Amino acid sequence: MNYYDNYDRQEAKKLLLLAILAGRTMLKNGAETYRAEDTVERICKSRKNIKYADAFVTPTGIFASLEYKGEILTYLMRIKSTRIDLNKINLVNEFSRNFVNSNMPISKGIKKLKELNKTTTYNAPLKTFFGGVACAFLSLLFGGSILDFISSFIVGFFVVLSVNKINKYKMTFFINNSVGSALASILAILLTKIGLGQNMDTIIIASIMPLVPGVAITNAMRDTISGDFVSGLSRGMEAIFSALAIAFGVGLILNIYFKGMI
Amino acid sequence: MEIIKNFLFSFLSTVGFNIIFSAPKGLVLKSGFVGGIGWIVLYSTSIYFNSSIISTFFAALTVGILGELFSRHYKKPATVFIIPGIIPLVPGAGMYYTMLALVEKDFLAAADKGTETLFIAAAISIGLIVSTTLSRSIKRVKYKR
Repeated sequence: MNYYDNYDRQEAKKLLLLAILAGRTMLKNGAETYRAEDTVERICKSRKNIKYADAFVTPTGIFASLEYKGEILTYLMRIKSTRIDLNKINLVNEFSRNFVNSNMPISKGIKKLKELNKTTTYNAPLKTFFGGVACAFLSLLFGGSILDFISSFIVGFFVVLSVNKINKYKMTFFINNSVGSALASILAILLTKIGLGQNMDTIIIASIMPLVPGVAITNAMRDTISGDFVSGLSRGMEAIFSALAIAFGVGLILNIYFKGMI
Repeated sequence: MEIIKNFLFSFLSTVGFNIIFSAPKGLVLKSGFVGGIGWIVLYSTSIYFNSSIISTFFAALTVGILGELFSRHYKKPATVFIIPGIIPLVPGAGMYYTMLALVEKDFLAAADKGTETLFIAAAISIGLIVSTTLSRSIKRVKYKR
């Protein structure tokens, strides 16, 4: 084995690392399984001398391997937390298209991917504000009055704010969702008591919507129809348990409310 | 008039969710549009069919098809349009009323509302399945030619 051979082997390793990093960034930000698998495979196969590349992606980890000159290299990466960031999915998608179609050096690609991972599209206060806006307009959509609009804005604002704060401590999604929905119910009850809200039900429904597992439902189904049954099941489980967590938070507070303690 | 009002509200709430999910900057209004159209379909078909399950199916189908079309046109992943667009359809209200009935120990109403919620979630999924399958088979046919 001469020097150049060895160098090429290092490059193949780096390529696999780059591919799996790209897949991980996608998956961590809420992309479907098949898209992550597709990205990993495309990036691996884009360079010469690689005959075989395959990836197995689940919502909790990525496995990928490629064959380089008769030798099989494998890499495994665990994924722990997922949050939704559509812009990152879009950016990685563009990056992989660029990488595959151009002759970009691999180390430059890794650098770009790491930069891309750090970008934030909107800052936290803006997100929180628009969380309130989203809840407020949903309350109008569900038949609320103008007073409900105002109180949904307040409740939604605080729900999104507190969920973001809890997210920083890396708690499980169950705690996150139940605390958020409990907070929504408490605030809605209090605001109705002081007369700012008229329909308590509408306010609660509108302000738990940012927690509702719409993304998990959507992705679970999209995964299942593409034949990724393991991912489909695991995301379906996520959806069911997020819904249970929300129901738990709301149910707890409503129970206390009906007992007359608030 | 009612339809315009509904469109405006759902459009603005979808825009809000776009910001929460940090959608790409240029696409916020476009996927807000997807969400608005989805809600209008839900609203008008629910008057016609008088069933929230069927109308949710049609709304999800519309969101799916629009998402796939937009993704083709703007060269972005379809998820970027579909995830925010589906949010107003998700049965949060059903979940709440089920829980309310359980708390009040009205188990009949809980079963009633619970099944409806489950079926609405299934309807969203089936609508998305149909639209995704359609778009993929169209792609495959084009590819073969």
